[in-house]
Amino acid sequence: MYQISICHLYPDLLNLYGDHGNIQALRKRMEWRGIDVSVHSVSLGEPFDPEAHDIVFIGGGQDYEQDILLNDLLNQKKEALFHAVEGETVFLCICGGYQLMGRYIKTGSGREMECLGALNHWTISGDKRLIGNLVFSVEGLKQQPDGYIVGFENHSGKTYLGEGVTPLGKVVHGFGNNGEDGYEGARYKNVYCTYSHGSLLPKNPGLADELITLALKRKYPDFVSLQPLNDSLETNARISLIKRFTRK
Amino acid sequence: MKKIIHHIRLYIALFIAKGAIFFLRLSGSGGTSLPGKLALAIYPDILTVLARKYRIIMVTGTNGKTTTSRMIEQILKENRIDYIANKSGANLLSGLTTTLISDVKMNLKSRSHTALLEVDEAAFRLSSKYMHPAVLVVTNFFRDQLDRFGELYATLNAVRDGISRLPDTTLILNADDSLCASLGKEVPNSVIYYGMNKLELPADDTWVESQDASYCLYCKAKYEYLFRSYSHLGHFICPQCGYSRPEALIQVDKILSLSGEFSRAIFYTPSGSFTAQINLPGLYNVYNALAAVSFSEALGFSHEKTIEALSCFESGFGRMESISLGEKSIQVILIKNPTGFNQVLSFLKTVENPAAISFIINDKLADGTDISWLWDVGFEALAEIQDKISRFFVSGIRAEDMAVRLKYAGIFTDHITVEKDYGNMLDDALEHVNSGETLYILPTYTAMLDIRKILKKRFHLKNFWQ
Repeated sequence: MYQISICHLYPDLLNLYGDHGNIQALRKRMEWRGIDVSVHSVSLGEPFDPEAHDIVFIGGGQDYEQDILLNDLLNQKKEALFHAVEGETVFLCICGGYQLMGRYIKTGSGREMECLGALNHWTISGDKRLIGNLVFSVEGLKQQPDGYIVGFENHSGKTYLGEGVTPLGKVVHGFGNNGEDGYEGARYKNVYCTYSHGSLLPKNPGLADELITLALKRKYPDFVSLQPLNDSLETNARISLIKRFTRK
Repeated sequence: MKKIIHHIRLYIALFIAKGAIFFLRLSGSGGTSLPGKLALAIYPDILTVLARKYRIIMVTGTNGKTTTSRMIEQILKENRIDYIANKSGANLLSGLTTTLISDVKMNLKSRSHTALLEVDEAAFRLSSKYMHPAVLVVTNFFRDQLDRFGELYATLNAVRDGISRLPDTTLILNADDSLCASLGKEVPNSVIYYGMNKLELPADDTWVESQDASYCLYCKAKYEYLFRSYSHLGHFICPQCGYSRPEALIQVDKILSLSGEFSRAIFYTPSGSFTAQINLPGLYNVYNALAAVSFSEALGFSHEKTIEALSCFESGFGRMESISLGEKSIQVILIKNPTGFNQVLSFLKTVENPAAISFIINDKLADGTDISWLWDVGFEALAEIQDKISRFFVSGIRAEDMAVRLKYAGIFTDHITVEKDYGNMLDDALEHVNSGETLYILPTYTAMLDIRKILKKRFHLKNFWQ
């Protein structure tokens, strides 16, 4: 029996936009296929063991709470998280979690807050919040052949990608990374970053399955592919939003 | 000359707004914001002019505003106080203006002397520029429609900012909410805190709720709790800087019962203890009753009248309304954020007879355009009682999202019906309810307005602005 361990980083601090739904989607979609799943919380003052987990999830929080955890992140977990990223552990980082993976966040007052620096991107505080439904297209998403991902974004930080990091997709409706260059999210090795909550994975089962597949392939070299599920409710939810916001 | 023109503009504003109120009522739409909008556009100071004519009682906070206002209203009635109130959730500046305009005569004399105003927590700061309430009740701060208001702390600070303009206002604050209680720190106002004493609560295993405020507002250390009622409410103490729940003047000392229809509790006040029955279910309504009792105490009303008011009042606009259809009944409960929704689910678990449930989820501005909060609600609790639920219906603009949420909560997908047409949904749902059973309709705000129109037509509900 396949076994997958999910690590939810700072669930008590980064839990703003229904992030629970992403964990729930990963868990259920594995359970329905007979894969043994365990979910572990790692928060302030608790060590992160890079060898122990196959999927790491990090969500978004209020700016106020992000302050508290930067300290913990840099002083206690930095090396271990670098190790996991370079070792191709699967990461899903959303909104605040996305920003924290980058090099720094420059606040409205001009202060540069050092972040993890596991990915070469950075975030600069903007003067208006980028809020609304978000549709973006991703190439090569096997289980979701039209490539469209739907969600909701709410951020004032504008994120820019440096060398070595590729965008996750192209914005079809909404703002994406910065509302300027038309890109959304970031990818590096097995790290997926996005501004889209909503919750993201329940409504985009193809993306959920891609993350699960990557995690299984990394851990079990003989693993081939996931058995398909009946996703009609999920697909209806996704298609209804694509129709509403892109008229396609 | 300038003064005369000023006066003329005021009367024109009043005249046009009153005309708009008249025609909107005639057309049956019950519009509550347009008349105020018109008046404010013609004479921006109209609210200041009108507000001076009243003793103003304001209620704000994220949850329980309407119910608390209705309880206070009943207390005013029992004590034979003439009042005007904004009943239908018209709680933005335009709605407040409409409310006062409908009460003053063309000669600017007011009919009542007390105005009970529920004010949207995001509109409160602006309202404090124009109106100086005698009493301000703040219920709590839970995560609510974040996409509209920015974040919870910003909302709190906006309310704090509004209060700084009102040093003479008596504040009635929830001591058990670390955010709400902070409003009473270092202000010149007189403050009355209310809260629950350490008491026994029925075990509630529905959900590990996401915490809106687990870290100290001042020094960011994690709070410890000596007692917790629900979500982040309780006897908090910061181990680092010592910020802790203030002493409450008005307390609930014991909860005698919490049923599907009502609650009974022992209230402690400086003028003595009394037992009261609250004619609404749910722990959150015990908090609303505490706020109302504190108000009553602040105005020196008798316990007898307060007890009478709590036991007999009718629920507010769509918050929890029952319609009896012979043997069957329909109950409409407004939902708007995770904490409120979780409380409704706890309530549904206490219901003994089987039932059908319909969720109507919209994502318009007044509902909150971001529906991700549905994932912070513990629908898993419903999966445990799904053998008692004949069918789950989902409707509204975001019906499909709600269906997915139920699926991942463990509800069997063949028990879920997606029906976007409200009329069809109602027909189908009522067929799944037998005599003696109830159909629970749980809409978001704009969905409630729509479903109410249909219910009104079919079952002759009273007009909601009355």
